[in-house]
Amino acid sequence: MKKILIATSFLLATTVAQAGHHEMDDMHSHEGHLHETMIDGKEIVVDPQRFDIFVTGLDNSQIALVSVQGMVCDFCARGIEKTFGKDKSVSKIDVDLASGKVLLAYPAGVKIDLAEIKKKILNNGLNATDIQIMGI
Amino acid sequence: MKSLIFAIIMLAALQTQARPISYVGGHTLMFNTGEQSDNIYWHYTPNINYSIGLDYQQDKVSNEYFPSARFTYLVNRKNTATSQRNLYIKTGLGLTNSDNHFYALTGDWETRRLFSGFSAKQISGVGYDLFEHSVKIGVAPYLGDYGDLHTWLMIETKKDDLDNKRTTYPVLRLFKSGALIEVAYHKSTDWTVHLMYRF
Repeated sequence: MKKILIATSFLLATTVAQAGHHEMDDMHSHEGHLHETMIDGKEIVVDPQRFDIFVTGLDNSQIALVSVQGMVCDFCARGIEKTFGKDKSVSKIDVDLASGKVLLAYPAGVKIDLAEIKKKILNNGLNATDIQIMGI
Repeated sequence: MKSLIFAIIMLAALQTQARPISYVGGHTLMFNTGEQSDNIYWHYTPNINYSIGLDYQQDKVSNEYFPSARFTYLVNRKNTATSQRNLYIKTGLGLTNSDNHFYALTGDWETRRLFSGFSAKQISGVGYDLFEHSVKIGVAPYLGDYGDLHTWLMIETKKDDLDNKRTTYPVLRLFKSGALIEVAYHKSTDWTVHLMYRF
C-alpha cells in the first residue's frame, strides 16, 4: 500500500513539475517585467501581469512593494501572508517567490509604517531590503 | 537494539529537514511513522531566535512511550536575494528519564532550486550513547509559485559510531502551503513517513 502511495506521489509531482515549469518560463521573461521610475530615481521592477491581477478591484489605495531577502520557500511566503493578514490596515497581500517581492495594499488614507513592515518581515526570519510606496 | 536506535535516528533526522523555527507566533505539528516507532512533535516559535516543543514517541516493539521536551536555537542566519543559510543548536531531554537526551548542531543552505544540509548529533539513552553525522543534498525539479505543490528530490547519507557503517537513502519531499509530506526509504527500516503542518 505504501509503495502504491509513493508511486502515485511521484507521478503527481512529475505532472505538476511540467506544468509549473512552463508557467515560470513565461513569468521570468525580462520583457514581461514592469519597469517604472519613481520620483526619487528608484526603478520598480514588478511582473506586470501579477501587478494587474493584484490591483484589480482596488481603488483609492496605496501599494507597498517590499523587496525581501531569504524568501526561498512556500513556508516563508505563508508566514508573511499570515503575519500581514492579521494587520487590519492591510487590504490585500501578494507574495511572489520568484522575484522576492511582497505586495501590500492599504487604503489611501492610511499612514504606512515602514518600520513595522520591516519588523513583520524580520519576524518571519527574512530581511526587507527596500520598500516603495505607489498610489493607485 | 541496533535497528531500534537506527529507527530513532531516522526519525530525528527527518525532523531536522523542515525548518525547526517558524515565524513568530507560529505552531508546527509533526507526525512520523516508521517500521519500529511513531512519534508526534509540536513546536512553538515565541521569538525568531528559538522554538520550544514537546515530543511523544512510541516504540512499536516494546510499546513504551518516550515523552521529551525540545529546544532549538538559531545561532546564525544569512539571507540573500536568492538563498537562506541557517545554523542551529538543538537539544532534547526525556521528561520521564533524563538519561534520554540529545544535542545537535545542524545547518542548511537553500535556494528555490537547491538544498544542502548537515547534522552532527550526540544521542544518549538508557544503555547507549552514540554520535551520528549526516549530510543531505536536494534539488527541486521545477520552481513552483506560492501555493503550488513543491517537490524536492533528495539524498541523505549518514554515519554513526554504533556500527560505523554509512547509509545512504533517497528522500522525497512534497509540500503545499502549510502542509508537508516527506518519505524516505532504506532497506534497514523500510519506508519512513514524515507529515508536518504549520499554522
